[in-house]
Amino acid sequence: MALKLAFLFVAVTRLYSQPGVLPILKQSCQPCHNQRLRTSGLALDSREDMMAGGNRGPSVKPGLPGESMLIQAVEQSGDLKMPPNSKLKPEQIAELKQWVAEGAKWPEQTTAKPRPGADHWAFQLPKRPTPPVVKTSAWVRNPIDNFILARLEREAVKPSPEADQNVLLRRLSLDLTGLPPSPKQIQDFLADQSPDAYLKVVDRLLASKHYGERWGRHWLDVARYADSDGYTIDGPRQIWKYRDWVINALNRDLPFDQFVIEQIAGDLLPNPTQDQLVATGFHRNTPSNFEGGIDFEQYRVEAVADRVATTGAAFLGLTIGCARCHDHKFDPISQREFYQIFAFLNNTDEVGSEAERYDFNRPILDMTTPQEHARVEASRIQRTMLSRELAEYVKKLAAKPIGPDDPPRFKDPGLQERVANLRALVKREPKITTTMIMRELPAPRESYIHLGGDFLRRGAPVTAGVPSVLSSKPVSGNRLQLAKWLVDAENPLTARVTVNRMWQFYFGKGLVESENDFGLLGAKPTHPELLDWLATEFIARGWSQKAMHRLIVTSATYRQSSRHRKDLEEIDPNNNLLAHQIRMRLEAEILRDTALVSSGLLTPVVGGPSVYPPIPEGAMAVTQVKREWPAAVGKDRYRRGLYTFFYRSAPYPGMGLFDAPDATASCTRRVRSNSPLQALTILNDQTYIEFGRALAKRIQSEAGATDADRLNYAFLVTLGRKAKPAELERLTRFLVLQRDEFRTDTTSASLLVMTPQVFDSSPTENEEEEVAIDPKTIPELAAWTSVARVLFNLDDFMTRE
Amino acid sequence: MKTEDELLQFATRRHFFSRCTVGVGGIALASLLGDNSLAAAEPANQPHFPPRIKNVIYLFMAGGPSQFELFDYKPKLQQFDGKAAPESLLKGKRFAFMDTFAKEPPKLLGTRREFKQHGKSGLYFSDLLPHIATVADDIAMVTGVNTDNFNHGPAKCFVNTGSTRFGRPSIGAWVTYGIGSESKDLPGFVVLQSGPRGPRGGAALWGSGFLPTGYQGVPFRSGGDPILDLSSPLGVTDNTQMQSLETIRDLNLSKLAETGDPEIATRIGAYEMAYRMQTSGPELIDFGKESRKTLQAYGAEPGKSSYANNCLLARRLVERGVRFVQLYHTDWDHHADLGQPLDNVCREIDRPTAALIKDLKERNLLDQTLVIWGGEFGRTPMGETRDKSSKIGRNHHIDAYTFFMAGGGVRPGTVVGGTDELGFSSTDPIHVHDIQATLLHQLGLDHTKLTFKFQGRNFRLTDVGGKVIDKLLA
Repeated sequence: MALKLAFLFVAVTRLYSQPGVLPILKQSCQPCHNQRLRTSGLALDSREDMMAGGNRGPSVKPGLPGESMLIQAVEQSGDLKMPPNSKLKPEQIAELKQWVAEGAKWPEQTTAKPRPGADHWAFQLPKRPTPPVVKTSAWVRNPIDNFILARLEREAVKPSPEADQNVLLRRLSLDLTGLPPSPKQIQDFLADQSPDAYLKVVDRLLASKHYGERWGRHWLDVARYADSDGYTIDGPRQIWKYRDWVINALNRDLPFDQFVIEQIAGDLLPNPTQDQLVATGFHRNTPSNFEGGIDFEQYRVEAVADRVATTGAAFLGLTIGCARCHDHKFDPISQREFYQIFAFLNNTDEVGSEAERYDFNRPILDMTTPQEHARVEASRIQRTMLSRELAEYVKKLAAKPIGPDDPPRFKDPGLQERVANLRALVKREPKITTTMIMRELPAPRESYIHLGGDFLRRGAPVTAGVPSVLSSKPVSGNRLQLAKWLVDAENPLTARVTVNRMWQFYFGKGLVESENDFGLLGAKPTHPELLDWLATEFIARGWSQKAMHRLIVTSATYRQSSRHRKDLEEIDPNNNLLAHQIRMRLEAEILRDTALVSSGLLTPVVGGPSVYPPIPEGAMAVTQVKREWPAAVGKDRYRRGLYTFFYRSAPYPGMGLFDAPDATASCTRRVRSNSPLQALTILNDQTYIEFGRALAKRIQSEAGATDADRLNYAFLVTLGRKAKPAELERLTRFLVLQRDEFRTDTTSASLLVMTPQVFDSSPTENEEEEVAIDPKTIPELAAWTSVARVLFNLDDFMTRE
Repeated sequence: MKTEDELLQFATRRHFFSRCTVGVGGIALASLLGDNSLAAAEPANQPHFPPRIKNVIYLFMAGGPSQFELFDYKPKLQQFDGKAAPESLLKGKRFAFMDTFAKEPPKLLGTRREFKQHGKSGLYFSDLLPHIATVADDIAMVTGVNTDNFNHGPAKCFVNTGSTRFGRPSIGAWVTYGIGSESKDLPGFVVLQSGPRGPRGGAALWGSGFLPTGYQGVPFRSGGDPILDLSSPLGVTDNTQMQSLETIRDLNLSKLAETGDPEIATRIGAYEMAYRMQTSGPELIDFGKESRKTLQAYGAEPGKSSYANNCLLARRLVERGVRFVQLYHTDWDHHADLGQPLDNVCREIDRPTAALIKDLKERNLLDQTLVIWGGEFGRTPMGETRDKSSKIGRNHHIDAYTFFMAGGGVRPGTVVGGTDELGFSSTDPIHVHDIQATLLHQLGLDHTKLTFKFQGRNFRLTDVGGKVIDKLLA
């Protein structure tokens, strides 16, 4: 108490020595400019804050009232007029001016208070907890289970029994590779009685090249990967090499810290490899605007802001993008800090003016192969020859007198033919492989706060830095420093956010349900200790993603049945306790892949340029610029879904309808919707008819002779299990009806069986596929195609249990 | 074994109420269960106050129609035709293609079109819109509208989603998310397109953003299937389709019994609705029962892809309870020539738009349907010439453009807003967010309450702005 009084006394004395200043500030400035609100980034209730200034820059230059923004603002001599909608009295302004002229002495050396929210759990470093002791220790397969079971025991809830073997194998295969198990793999697994049978499967799947495709696609969502520029023109772009880099990086289990560093700043590593340059495509996946009449700088800034937001969502699980126009409303992240991260990412050599339009998508990496190079050369030579020949012809034509009955010169058949030839050649000109990358400018751009988020309203200059609540030491420099900080052991968020996202793909939601918001408004972790244990384990295991996948899928928690539990409807409707697994509809790409594997059509090639599987007529009719869709006729017709060319403004219909993201911004979790349009797609799209016919043929050729044999086999390849008697009975009934139908109506049978040719008359590479089918077999094939169609439409087929 | 009904009832009400992803699937299941209150009881699917209207037909004129050539009559602009635009009015403003200004200072351009007042209300229309002029007394003009971006893509995105950044939910998605649809056989939000190309921005303009995908606009094609994959595949007869659907349903039901996963019940509902869409689709696009008089009034020709056909289809859609119909008609971007190209596009839209308003009125649908006409921005009071052409056009202008509305509880025959004598700025500013707020208001939705939590914050169509334009409402 005595101390407080003494403080008051001192303050009051100082107040007397500067009678007007504090009351003026208090009454007219501090209601908005205080340490809590920091309107426009400015606090005027401590000298430190006042000197630091706000978003527009320093507010006071001691001794120089004429150059001090505070004085300019209250004099209302420039654009900035303070206080808003009123004006200080002349004597108050004079008082402030004199005070600044005299050095702006502050009565008390107060220090800024700690930022509210700085003590939020997610901003503290994860501490390594000891796995709790549980009563039913026999259930535990690894420490994950200790954490889950301890909570269940506390709530007196029993975990679910292990899922049956067929379900487990299909679940594992889909989760780790996105492809269902083959009949042989099912047989082998069921036959393997050894205690490590399950582990062997896990290791086989993690070693599969398809693992990188499966988990690569998850990462491509985060990276907002697409094959086109977006915005209104939405031209195709080449960046598939980045997609392949992701797949390969995961397959070779590149440690996650390195995975991040190479993507954010591979170009800034010493002597970067070509691979490390390709990796920087991560932040080149922003949409780019090529529309006429734009200000290129505006959209360059837009892309950098997107990079800041994506960096926040992908690694930090924070909605940093919210701080672009004003301080974050809920989290302790200021607008200034947004632009400090912006400053790291603002120095790339991209086009920023109309004069550079020709160089759109710069910087790119030329990856032309020697073969491509030779082909381009050959084509160029041919082009030169044709152009010369055309020029000579034109000369000759011009010299020839034109008679009254002759056609006009431009209609001369010889001329038209030559022009057409040349045009055709140019159109056929072989493409060379390039990919978009990051490349730093020789000197960094000046970065500044954009007042109100408007790049034309220049605020205070900023230098690169990271939010202060996330780092005890300052971080500055270039992108490489940013990248290293993201995966620094002292970063409280990256490891947590990453393991949480892995968890989400296995259990439908993360331990923190708001996987992209670990901030103050985000969900609290359901199992905070498990989250921290996993995060520290991830780092301890050298950031190995495969090690974490192995850990999670070998837990008893993961291996539980996904059966709905009536007893939990009231007490745990959202499965926060994880007393059971969950059923999840397959993602857009995986649905396609699963149908491809079941029908035996899959082309299992990994990587390469994006492909064009057939699409329904009219699917590309929505875009401003008409885009070609040369439907693949050969092996590329049956590639995995993640290789389908993705136009941002006209996504492949089978993707968007099944909730594939639109690649306009980072997507950290997909919606799982369930709509009639999805039903129409699987029921009626020619793609599924084509797959269905292939499945029918496969059943006929690979299974036994009886209907029951064949139906059981059909179940096995589509659902990974045998049919139950009731199912067998129901499908047999359907098969018999369909057989009758198609024996009577052979026209329909032929149409159904001949379908692929109907919508694509080009020859296929699989000539034998198209050998005339014996007419007598058509009704039977049609009936089995109907069966295949039914199987594709079962909830069971499109769901991972 | 449980009976079918019991199994479907298994999908507990709580399951549906606990999620906001009901969309069309939920509604279908609701009817399947013989319980129409199911979808309506979902809190996110309920108006905030009694709605004034049921449907919206949004005629989106893509490219930026010139208000000066159509509605916003400016004698002063005629008077100063050819004079340099006053610098004071240009200062601090940004336009598309600003580099052309550097070459030659822009000159004011008086319209070459004839303007007359029409109807009892005396609204001005130019000679380009003789048919729409005949329904002047049903129309409310909203002038002096301002928007936030002067490039087509982001500006279209802004008018449709309230944000210039792609990826936010569109207005139709917000509406169906907010109050669902009354149609049991058709999607609640339908998009129709006409004109020489698709609108810039494509699918993002009617996307659902972070809302569940079930709310996104469903584009109806003018040729072939109105909805992708609506028809059964070749060789699949009605009989085969029925047998297949029954088998799928039976097997799904037994899976539902086995697992108890309510999602399966939703899927069964989705398949039911898919089938209903299949059966009602052909009837919807069949104009055979429309009288010759109606066809002539619209200028619609069965089987042809046109704005006229889309207008007629829009009426048929709202008749069938579809909540939000959006028509896009492209080719309004007249930078270089306000002559023949503008004649053409006006001819395409004039008669059908007028016919739509009259037709809705005759069928007593106009009162419950808001028809709204407008683009992503307007055009400048200054002329623009390109490539030394003798023709003249106008640049993009975002400070004072025109929408018009009809029906749907707006006060007919009025002008709200207003622009200055040269048409540079609004005298009573109306922002695009205000139009969005008003549209939601008419449907019983408070734009400040219709929100969705995403990335830690509540988002809404009107961002942090928007106020209902009370003066516009009857």
